[in-house]
Amino acid sequence: MISEKFKKTILNELNLYDFDIQDDTTADQVPGWDSLNHINVILAVEKAFDVHFKGIEVLKCKNIGELQKLVNTKLDQK
Amino acid sequence: MNKKINNKTKEKMINTISNTKEIEWERWVEIAEKYPDRDAFIHWVAGEEPFRWTFSSLLKAAESFAVGFKRNGVQRGDVCATIIRHNKYFYPIYLAISSIGAIPSVLAYPNPRLHPDKFRQGLEGMSKRSGLDWILTERELSEIIDPLITKNDSTIRGSFFPLEWERNLRFEGKELEDIEKVRADISDSDPVLLQHSSGTTGLQKPVLLSHKAILDFVTNYAKSLKLSPNDKIISWLPLYHDMGLIAAFHLPLAFGIPTVQIDTFEWIMVPSLILEAISKEKGTITWQPNFAYNILADKVHEDELEGISLESMRMFINCSEPVRDRSNNLFYNRYKKYGVKEESLSSSFGMAEVTFLATQTPAGEKLQSLTVNRQKLKQGIVEIVNNGEESRVCCSSGKIIEGCEIKIINEDNKDLEEGFVGELVIKSVSMFDGYRNYPEKTAAVLKDGWYYSGDYGFCYEGYYYIIGRKKDIIIVAGNNIYPEDVEDLVSQVKNIIPGRVIAFGEDDEALGSEQISVVAETKLTSEEDHRKLKLEVIKAGMTDDINIKKVYLVPPRWLIKSSAGKPSRKANRERLVEDKEIIKWS
Repeated sequence: MISEKFKKTILNELNLYDFDIQDDTTADQVPGWDSLNHINVILAVEKAFDVHFKGIEVLKCKNIGELQKLVNTKLDQK
Repeated sequence: MNKKINNKTKEKMINTISNTKEIEWERWVEIAEKYPDRDAFIHWVAGEEPFRWTFSSLLKAAESFAVGFKRNGVQRGDVCATIIRHNKYFYPIYLAISSIGAIPSVLAYPNPRLHPDKFRQGLEGMSKRSGLDWILTERELSEIIDPLITKNDSTIRGSFFPLEWERNLRFEGKELEDIEKVRADISDSDPVLLQHSSGTTGLQKPVLLSHKAILDFVTNYAKSLKLSPNDKIISWLPLYHDMGLIAAFHLPLAFGIPTVQIDTFEWIMVPSLILEAISKEKGTITWQPNFAYNILADKVHEDELEGISLESMRMFINCSEPVRDRSNNLFYNRYKKYGVKEESLSSSFGMAEVTFLATQTPAGEKLQSLTVNRQKLKQGIVEIVNNGEESRVCCSSGKIIEGCEIKIINEDNKDLEEGFVGELVIKSVSMFDGYRNYPEKTAAVLKDGWYYSGDYGFCYEGYYYIIGRKKDIIIVAGNNIYPEDVEDLVSQVKNIIPGRVIAFGEDDEALGSEQISVVAETKLTSEEDHRKLKLEVIKAGMTDDINIKKVYLVPPRWLIKSSAGKPSRKANRERLVEDKEIIKWS
């Protein structure tokens, strides 16, 4: 499930005031989250949660819910 | 069919002696006979072992696809548009189209954010303009593409899914006789590919190039690069763009040079992929737009660089976007400890209309840059100065490539001397013959054999510097976007006053590129309404795969009009960006 902090991090990075993000939302459905901005979103999430992703791990995420799970896994490993 | 060609070999250099009557298929067959087991394409997929096509296996696979095309009715001269994602069979499919005298045209696979109706409309517009005959694609797109085939006025005769075909087909008997006749009849002046030059899908200009144009270009360009059999190209560039298709496909194929092909989508998600590929494959040459230098410098974690060596690289070629001194410095400072040499940073300038390029930093030379007086430059005069507030660093795009001529002209079409800014007009042995079915657009840019580029720049001591452009095109990460396309989309948004919108490129220094900004008039005044409206404007861009980065909402009659009565992009851009005017609501 998408946490409020995770959602806010993404929206802040994309300069969005509000946008509904669910587990099955994909990056291409979020205004401003295009391929050029993708890496900035990922870096913002890494910074907010003090975690570090391998590129291939992010590439495997099919939707935002999977990215949230990846964050959770990283936090559990800490 | 294989005409034997007596090529002389230059020691430690590839053969750059032009065979004036050659066609590309013959060249590829000759290369496959000469280097059957050499890698041709190394198909790179993140997290997997790469798939390696040798020159002989590539041609064998191409022959099988060629049989499939012939049996499905594809004829010499037919335009075959390929809309296929990063797939190892793309390469032999492309060669197969060419081998039967048909004309390949590589189109971008639609991004998920592009609305299917927009994609279909764009493809329909393109098919009518370019005369597309066949669509070679993946089954997933059939629902979108099929309605175009059955339309009465459609040029598209059918679509195929060649990735699903049997892969061991051979021409035999009568089929073999027929294809040999077709191949023997292809002339070097026949078209060999159709590229689409800038603009969104429906408005792209079709550029048809001949075997001679391509082979002359790659021959001349190879000299400038000092291409050798030891070279290996590493590329993440999309093959629907001239930079990817010519530099990382036709050029290496013509000289038997291996090329690593990385998926563009994967690269942008994982930029370190290119560094991994260079290191593992000992790459020597790559082409990238300017923004890639910033991304590689700023967005790659240090731990992803463990064990990476970039020492093998002899040329990182910056192209398709204005070259920025800051981007080059960021990249060099980050990667010099991994083996990047200063003289490997290189740049170029060109366009699809002259096949690919007109200038290139000569191999082994350091990229030239000049510090000039910014104000004088605005007046069209190049005055060299020391660093200072009023200075600007201009990066050179190199020297003229053999086979090209460049003039710098003023508004009265008069030649300018070195040190003065004007429009670059180009003549090339690899010049296009005009936009297909677009005489009015051709006449606007092609005059007396000279191509009017619309780019502004100057020449200084034999090196060319590009500093701006005549047209209002926005270049985002190497992609050309027409502001009109953005303005049309935004004008349709509810509560935006139709026709009272301008779009322009705003510099994003961190990205090393431009991003799209929009200024739109609205009668809405509350902050909450503005927030919602900005989101709707961004969403409108998304339907056409256009990412609008900034939206400025302004009151009615805020936009300054040009003398023609339309909102002026230049004046309003300056008012907002350069003068930093705070928008006041009436």
